[in-house]
Amino acid sequence: MSFPALNCQGDIAPAAPGRRRRRRSLARRTADSLNRAISEVFENEELAGRPGLLQRLDARVKLASILLLAVTASLVHSVWTLLLLVCAGPALAAASQASAASFARKVWSSAGLLALLLALPSATAYITPGKVLVPLGAVSLTEPGLMGAATLVLRVVAASGFCLLVIWTMRWTELLHALSALRLPGVIVATLAMAHKQILTLLRTVEQTHLARESRLVSPGTTREERAWVTERMAFVVRKSLKTADDVYDAMLARGYSGPVRTLVRLRTTPRDWTWLTLCAVGCAALVLVDRLLLAR
Amino acid sequence: MSPDFELEGVCLDYRSGIRALDSIRLTINPGEQVAVVGANGSGKSTLLKIIDGLAFPTSGSVKAFGAPLTEDALEDLAFRREFRSRVGFVFQEADVQLFCSNARDELAFGPLQLGLDEAEVERRVNDVATQLRIDKLLDRPPYSLSGGEKKRLAIGSVLTMESRVLLLDEPSSGLDPRSQVWLLGVLETWKKEGRTAVIATHDLSAAAESADRMVVLSEDHVVVADGPPEEVLAQHELLLEVNLIHEHAHRHSSVTHTHSHAH
Repeated sequence: MSFPALNCQGDIAPAAPGRRRRRRSLARRTADSLNRAISEVFENEELAGRPGLLQRLDARVKLASILLLAVTASLVHSVWTLLLLVCAGPALAAASQASAASFARKVWSSAGLLALLLALPSATAYITPGKVLVPLGAVSLTEPGLMGAATLVLRVVAASGFCLLVIWTMRWTELLHALSALRLPGVIVATLAMAHKQILTLLRTVEQTHLARESRLVSPGTTREERAWVTERMAFVVRKSLKTADDVYDAMLARGYSGPVRTLVRLRTTPRDWTWLTLCAVGCAALVLVDRLLLAR
Repeated sequence: MSPDFELEGVCLDYRSGIRALDSIRLTINPGEQVAVVGANGSGKSTLLKIIDGLAFPTSGSVKAFGAPLTEDALEDLAFRREFRSRVGFVFQEADVQLFCSNARDELAFGPLQLGLDEAEVERRVNDVATQLRIDKLLDRPPYSLSGGEKKRLAIGSVLTMESRVLLLDEPSSGLDPRSQVWLLGVLETWKKEGRTAVIATHDLSAAAESADRMVVLSEDHVVVADGPPEEVLAQHELLLEVNLIHEHAHRHSSVTHTHSHAH
């Protein structure tokens, strides 16, 4: 066996100063996103372990109370009541030892922005006629249009904020046990558990694949080539995930799996849990009542 | 007493037509520690899967504990429960084996599926976790563990089933030296307890240390040797031929010499 002759000898010349940094390639950005996604999972695990308000609650009670808040957000119609619910999200995050600012940023930059983009066209005079507040010709924004859009955006932000609280303050295992305790079929819970684990394993594989390519790449290809590469990797991951699913199923069979999945988890409630649930129920009922009174005026 | 496993003329072809195992004839008796050695791709893992009823031969027959081991037989709930409670399988890739949401559930999965009561399962989980020194990791999800911890957990998930037969696929791969020594200790204990163990590996030194019988698979997927480790390891030409050892040039100071090496 022989290798090609070494073609680079001696010291390497330093990079020319003042060069503008090239835009990062699509593949590199994908690898970075994957890395961020994995890091977030570990950060969430750490956050869920802090001794905050929501973390101390029984998983079922926490899930039920947050579900109650999310349902309330879909029942109320007044912008003021919705604003109150939107503010409840960061307040609960702060009480759970999470950063209220990060919480608000995360919710508004994703769900809030998306809801705004979807709702904005409905605020125009073309779709919702009424008193014009922002004159922009054919796409002037009307008062009822803006109120409708604000209601939708606030409702989405409030509900998605509550969902984020579940993610931030509950370990994935607790969530699965809570879902189990709330009578979700065992097969679905087991599938969710495996899906979560497989997603993480595959995320790592894809990230490493991208980094392996990056380490051998001198100059990034064209955008088209980069897109083709990312698409090919996606196909590779699908094939790999199918193979892994078969192997995992074999491993389950080998340990006696035959349908229903039993676990050892026994969840226990304390007076604190019941107090919290009662407060939530009373608070939500009061909000719905106040909302109806506000609307009646 | 019937042998634990009897394989007679077992052949297995993949759907692509590629042969994975060819005319395998193998008997594994109770309490035997058998090392199945062979180069990569020789069919070791496939053989273990056949023994565990996870793959089925294209031709030939397999008997487990005196009864035919077939797809139909495993459809019978009573047979499956009995068979699965007797045979535990540690997969090569711990990531495949660890599918539960935390280490405690992972250790409890097997015994719970076998219908044991929760107090007994809890006792086994705590015992095994303490033995394997993973008791501090019980509430952690498997993906957050290191490679060695994952391997310990994968072995532990089978130990809690207290199986009579243990199938181990490359058990020492990915383990650091201390964990490898620990694993050899575990195998030694199993041997003393009279459990049967079938270990697929290409690590000849580990196989020689832990097994009292060595089965060699060639790159043509046939059994080419079967006997005590010292007898098999003495067949230098055969081991070279099946790609288990190779000639390796070494330099000591200014002197270069060549000798056989196993990896």
